[in-house]
Amino acid sequence: KEQVEEEHEDDDVLPDAPAPAEDDEDDEDEDDSEDEDDEDNGVDLSRLEDLSDSDSDSDDGGNDDDEDAEEEEEEIDIDDLSPENSEDEEEIAASTRVRQTINNKEGLLASLKRFALDTSSKVPFATHQSIVSAEVTEEAIPSVDDDLQRELAFMNQSLEAARLARTLLKKEGVPFTRPTDYFAETVRSDETMEKVKAKMIEEATAKKASAEARKLRDLKKFGKQVQVAKQQERAKQKRDTLDKIKDLKRKRQQGQSNVGEKEADDLFDVAVDNELSGGKKGGGYAAAGKKRAFGDKGAGPNPKRQKKDSKYGFGGKKKYSKSGDAISSGDISGFSVKKNRSSFGGSHGGAKGPGRPAKKTKTTPRLGKSKRQAAAGKR
Amino acid sequence: MAAVYKSLSKSSGSKAATDSEDAKNGAKRNRQRVLILTSRGVTYRHRHLLNDLAAMMPHGRKDVKFDSKSKLYQLNELAELYNCNNVMFFEARKGKDLYMWFSKVPNGPTVKFHAQNLHTMEELHFTGNCLKGSRPVLSFDAAFEAEPHLKVIKELFLHIFGVPQGARKSKPFVDHVMGFSIADGKIWIRNYEVREVEKTKADAEEADKGKKSKHGDKDTDVSLVEIGPRFVLTPIVIQEGAFGGPIIYQNKRFVSPNQVRSDLRKAKAGRHNARTEQTRDRLAKAGKLGLGANGAKKEGDGLDTRELFA
Repeated sequence: KEQVEEEHEDDDVLPDAPAPAEDDEDDEDEDDSEDEDDEDNGVDLSRLEDLSDSDSDSDDGGNDDDEDAEEEEEEIDIDDLSPENSEDEEEIAASTRVRQTINNKEGLLASLKRFALDTSSKVPFATHQSIVSAEVTEEAIPSVDDDLQRELAFMNQSLEAARLARTLLKKEGVPFTRPTDYFAETVRSDETMEKVKAKMIEEATAKKASAEARKLRDLKKFGKQVQVAKQQERAKQKRDTLDKIKDLKRKRQQGQSNVGEKEADDLFDVAVDNELSGGKKGGGYAAAGKKRAFGDKGAGPNPKRQKKDSKYGFGGKKKYSKSGDAISSGDISGFSVKKNRSSFGGSHGGAKGPGRPAKKTKTTPRLGKSKRQAAAGKR
Repeated sequence: MAAVYKSLSKSSGSKAATDSEDAKNGAKRNRQRVLILTSRGVTYRHRHLLNDLAAMMPHGRKDVKFDSKSKLYQLNELAELYNCNNVMFFEARKGKDLYMWFSKVPNGPTVKFHAQNLHTMEELHFTGNCLKGSRPVLSFDAAFEAEPHLKVIKELFLHIFGVPQGARKSKPFVDHVMGFSIADGKIWIRNYEVREVEKTKADAEEADKGKKSKHGDKDTDVSLVEIGPRFVLTPIVIQEGAFGGPIIYQNKRFVSPNQVRSDLRKAKAGRHNARTEQTRDRLAKAGKLGLGANGAKKEGDGLDTRELFA
């Protein structure tokens, strides 16, 4: 009894049942006699149905068998209602509102004993082939959400087990390695493995392609820089040569009297003039010398280049730049209502057929630009 | 081919001889047969998982769909009919949630799990492959020895996933490992193929220098490639009997998926409700201050209905 009372004191929520040694027969006798007492006290048994101890170690008298199901609950009820535990009743009432969790460790271990296989070192490893790792895997995982670390930890656990299994099986002489000529059905069909292989190849090629593309892009950027630098240099050179030519031209114009020039210079100038005009005058010894092997590229750049140069080169066209721009198009000062108002009869009379456009009545010819501008200025 | 190999390798070909050998070792011969079946309402994913597991268990027997979801005790009779001493039952609820029941049939415990994160063997990022029916090496986490309920679970896994020696359709070589780990209160299950690779020079040198070959020093080292399937189990409840009996363990950290979904929905509704309440409060406050839609409160005379019948 003393033992029982000690256990009462230790326990928080529910008092302990009598020691496990007595077990089944004793419990049955007690319960039968006190069954009526339970119902009389009007405690809601259905609520207390799932009552059990908290996670702290407690024994329910080792109720193993199925028929002890009710006894487990009844035992608790009896202990609740016994007068010596009056101070626990409030606690019990409070705890029943909270969802009780069940962790019947004794029951678990007892049922385990009933069906467990022997996996100790006494039996050959090949009978069960199970290994319990030495370290707790969860400690190797910093965070459960980190997929990589987690899977790595799992794989390491299994790897250790595999290594250990290999040595144990080798010791027992059980074949471990599959020989390369052993063909048998596998869990994953051949087509699945083909698909896997195809996917791996695809991944590899995609990676390679993207690496190539990146390399090309970088090269292009670098190449662009080089190109820009080269273009600038070329433009500079062109500017220099043009300046030189302009100087020469000026000198030539100024120095018209200088007939007694050296023949070489004269030839040089001719050649320069030819280049400037882009003409096909390929005359002159020097020019002949300069003449290339193919075609008349000595006349300068090719026609397409010349056309483009005339349109866009050296600052673009200078002559007709204000010709059709917004301001000049929007300028309707030259438009006179009187002039454009043609007589109705005239236009209708002119129409002979359905679709034949009428001839415009003769209007005075339009004045020239300078006259028009002058007129606009006067107004 | 397998049969030929078996007959060649077994010198004493009879069962009796092996039994006597086992008896000498002091252990009962390990005979397990698993009845594998599902309930109705399984999706393709669950079905594929079942097929994958059944392919890896040559000592298992796949059966047709079991009709009832409440009268699970009938599974005991079914198992007895097929001479199976284990049952692995997939229960699908709402076409979304998968619960797995593992049980030792005659009177052993039953464990119910909630399965999540299912990946079947069809997925292309698993690159391994193994023989159909080869006996696996089961690798358990050290945490399985910590708690009694985990010990029970470990033993059940050992019986159900471990292929007994001499099972009819089993293959001789060991080429896959099944890993069971515990993280975050859940059990993570992985399958790996055991591949032997050439030991690198560094490893070989190390082996020569240091520890003497405890590990049966061959020229090859072991590397693992994942095969699949992979899934995560959350233990819910352990019952003492086969699909019945008192509950001897209940996981208090388990939240049912229905609960999760309803909480999400309530949270959404809660947000909306909170906002409407706030608007109502604001309008009331504004009205009191005279900033409401009706403008400032007029000073009514004493006979105003609103004041009389307040």
